[in-house]
Amino acid sequence: MNLAPEILFKIAGFPVTNTIVTTVITDIVIISLVLILKFTISLYPKIFQNIMESVVEYFYDSTKDVAGSRVKFIYPWVLTFFIFIVISNLMGLLPGFETIRFHPIGNTSHEGVPLFRTATSDLNLTAAFAVISIVMTHFYAIKYTGVKSYIGRFVSFQIFPVFLFVGFLEFIGEFTKVISLAFRLFGNILAGEVVMGTMSSMVAFGVPVPFMMLEVMVALIQAVVFAMLTMAFMNIMTEKH
Amino acid sequence: MEILNLFGLETKLFVAQIVNFVILFFILKILLYKPISQMLEERSKKIKQGLDDAENAKKTLLNADNEKISILKVAKVNADKILENTKISAENLKQKTTEDAKKQATDIIDNAKRLAKDEFNKASRQVGEISVDLSKKIISKILSEIFTEEEKNIVLSKAVDKIEHGGYEKTTN
Repeated sequence: MNLAPEILFKIAGFPVTNTIVTTVITDIVIISLVLILKFTISLYPKIFQNIMESVVEYFYDSTKDVAGSRVKFIYPWVLTFFIFIVISNLMGLLPGFETIRFHPIGNTSHEGVPLFRTATSDLNLTAAFAVISIVMTHFYAIKYTGVKSYIGRFVSFQIFPVFLFVGFLEFIGEFTKVISLAFRLFGNILAGEVVMGTMSSMVAFGVPVPFMMLEVMVALIQAVVFAMLTMAFMNIMTEKH
Repeated sequence: MEILNLFGLETKLFVAQIVNFVILFFILKILLYKPISQMLEERSKKIKQGLDDAENAKKTLLNADNEKISILKVAKVNADKILENTKISAENLKQKTTEDAKKQATDIIDNAKRLAKDEFNKASRQVGEISVDLSKKIISKILSEIFTEEEKNIVLSKAVDKIEHGGYEKTTN
């Protein structure tokens, strides 16, 4: 398995990779579920609405416990990250992923490339998510604490040069947040896929089941970790300095 | 740059993922978060209203119970009053009825006495008349043997006159 996603074809110079395909499928699944909910939503919920409400309520309440009144703008981001990542991760465990092969034009190999690959095993996606998370965190920090307070977080001349150095470390820390968020998710999911691929190629039946269960847990945990870290970063940065 | 290529990082794909996520975020915000938040809010309101209604119903029930107790108290006092009045009225009626009955009984007795007296007087008078007739007949018979017809008539008329006008004392049993 490559670290980079495989390019299937190009549309007007835009490379369509197997992770882009699964990203689009994930979008379709999410939007379908949301539309089903929208058209069946009722004051007396059935099982599907109950599940969706439970997820929304859980993240809303968790964010409210941490961020208080700032829950209104933090929780939609947190929940969107969670929903996309968890569905994408779980979809990667479905039959057909990595096994259905595609032969791109110009690819001469006999095996071809996988048609579907877990979207979160693409660093483009995880880095994009990490950048969105941090950029929105800084946007809300400026919006809710003011420019002066925001800059004061990184540049301070109190007890010169101690706080200036601390501010510099904070500044560097913002970049490491992006890298850690992106690589944690990417690494965990890619490693899981490698483990699953290896186990399945060694013994086709039975043996991969425990690893699959482990991957289900990893899928959930990684989604929660990404969402909760975003929540924590947004909460810390939007607090008055 | 080599390491970025190794991981497949490409600007176009990176930007595409950002755009994709932002679009998805706004779709979810409109289609999921807003309706669910409204639904949860509406449900919370309904639950709160239900609890308030239950509380109000409880209060109303308590008030109704208190009102019932006070009404029963007033009713009991009124009933006691009515019962007392009824007893007094019944006592008065009883006394009046007794008095009327006694008066009626006295009247009946008096009436009966008067009737008895009248009857006695009537009977006495009849006895008297019969005595006079009998006396006349006896005297006439006796005198017819002693006196002539003319003398007899004179003596008889005198005797009758005496008897009828109290010439002799009347004897009564």
